[in-house]
Amino acid sequence: MLSTIVQNLLNALQWGSFYALIALGYSLVYGVLLLINFAHGDVFMVGAYIGFFVATFLLTQAAGLPGWVVLAVTIPATMALTAVVGVTLERVAYRPLRRKGANRLYVVITALMAGLILEHGNLALLGASRKKFPELINEVVYTVGGVSFTNLKIAVILAAFAVFVLLHFIVTRTKIGMAMRAISYDKFAVPLMGIPIDTVIVFTFILGSSMAGLAGVLFAMSYPVLEPYMGALIGWKAFIAAVVGGIGDIRGAFVGGFLLGAVEILVVAFFPSTFRDLIAFTVLLVILSFKPTGLFGVAKTTKI
Amino acid sequence: MLLEIENLVVRYGSIEALHGVSFTVDEGEVVTLIGANGAGKTTTLLSICRLPPPEAPRVAEGDIRFAGRSILAVEPHDVVRALKMALVPEGRRIFGNLTVEENLELATYARRGDPGVVKDLERVFQLFPRLRERRRQRSESLSGGEQQMLAVGRALMTGCRVLLLDEPSMGLAPVLKYEMFRALKRLNQEGVTILLVEQNAALALKFAHRGYVLDTGRIVAEGPTDHLLSNEEVKRAYLGG
Ligand SMILES: Nc1ncnc2c1ncn2[C@@H]1O[C@H](COP(=O)(O)OP(=O)(O)OP(=O)(O)O)[C@@H](O)[C@H]1O
Ligand SMILES: [Mg+2]
Repeated sequence: MLSTIVQNLLNALQWGSFYALIALGYSLVYGVLLLINFAHGDVFMVGAYIGFFVATFLLTQAAGLPGWVVLAVTIPATMALTAVVGVTLERVAYRPLRRKGANRLYVVITALMAGLILEHGNLALLGASRKKFPELINEVVYTVGGVSFTNLKIAVILAAFAVFVLLHFIVTRTKIGMAMRAISYDKFAVPLMGIPIDTVIVFTFILGSSMAGLAGVLFAMSYPVLEPYMGALIGWKAFIAAVVGGIGDIRGAFVGGFLLGAVEILVVAFFPSTFRDLIAFTVLLVILSFKPTGLFGVAKTTKI
Repeated sequence: MLLEIENLVVRYGSIEALHGVSFTVDEGEVVTLIGANGAGKTTTLLSICRLPPPEAPRVAEGDIRFAGRSILAVEPHDVVRALKMALVPEGRRIFGNLTVEENLELATYARRGDPGVVKDLERVFQLFPRLRERRRQRSESLSGGEQQMLAVGRALMTGCRVLLLDEPSMGLAPVLKYEMFRALKRLNQEGVTILLVEQNAALALKFAHRGYVLDTGRIVAEGPTDHLLSNEEVKRAYLGG
């Protein structure tokens, strides 16, 4: 009995880690820009592909490199390149609209279109065939007291927690984090402090997209089949997780992500798996109807 | 001349708010801009700070010069960094979700490695001892007067040489008003140039060296403050008799 609970908990944490890592990007960008970056799920997809290409490149160009070395290079390289994608998106799609003072509706539509462009750009460039992510480390299964887990699963969970600690530190302790919080409170007064708003926005996109890139690699290692639409549904779910947690607050992104992971795993444990999304979304809907601002949300004062 | 505003015409969308305003501020001076509600005082300060629309207006004609050079193309954060002009905005606009200390620290964003920061912090705490007492408090929870002190303190932490103040006495009890102006006087004696916008004309004219009277987007009177104080028009319209 206890082992079943621990097993499900572990599964929930691993599954929730992906949501949490993606939800974070929605939350940070929303906190700073009040923009729902609907392209973010597709940035995660692009991250997985970047990871695929980096890893494959390393494996073919430097054959004989041990898998863990390839992984150790792939992760930071993917995070950096995915950050470039996120920042480019900001430059090309969102900044011009911001300069013109466009209505938020147009910005949201632009975000949706940017996501579709990423999906279909991928489809056009790489074709419809799926890609198989190479195996970089040997997945080892451990069994302790009836609970079985793999080294990869533990790594995913640890990565999510490490990211949380890092981001929490950045947002609460560093000057740029302070600037992010200040923007979410009152954008008008930020340049008066000698702070270039665009720098803070770019930094926010770097954080969000690099974490989506990390999630992309970890996801591709755990479920090694890549296809252009892989970011769509998981992106929507991560967005909902961010809202349920309280969008604009990084604690909310993590709590929402893990909560969604837990609900899904629990549903699958007791119901046919086709019920999963139906029940999961219903639970989230109920939570929101009781607390429309999300678990960590405050009516409208501070975000992030 | 440190700051020269020349024939400035600005618009919010298609609404013209200033119709050709000219004035100057010299280094070390205290200059005040007085006028009734809607005269264009805030508009003038926002234009000088180069803040972007829609909250601030767009310059349609005229020029704003700092030390002889036009600053119309300068970014708002560079007005603070490069020109060392800081605005204490109308309504304070402090970051309520940050602590007092964080508000002050954030203002030093562009001063990495500047040894003057420590001295400036000490100066702010000396001018406004209440801020020291409340430094770990979320600034939202400060009283209105304390928030105003924080807004001034924050501007000083940017390392500014020119202070633009938009109604710093607004909503302050008389004692605090007096305290605020005493602090401003000390700052000016230490070399900070001040451009002060006030609705409280009597107070502003007593404090400043020179003044300009703004009426619906135009300068209608100007001169040394003692002249303005004895000007019959100004007396009748702004000093209540
Ligand atoms: N954001 C804005 N959009 C459109 N018009 C504006 C805006 N801000 C100010 N105005 C208009 O510009 C004119 C000048 O306003 P401004 O705020 O500069 O006056 P003020 O002298 O600061 O008044 P107060 O003493 O009430 O603060 C007013 O007619 C006002 O309606
Ligand atoms: Mg005003």
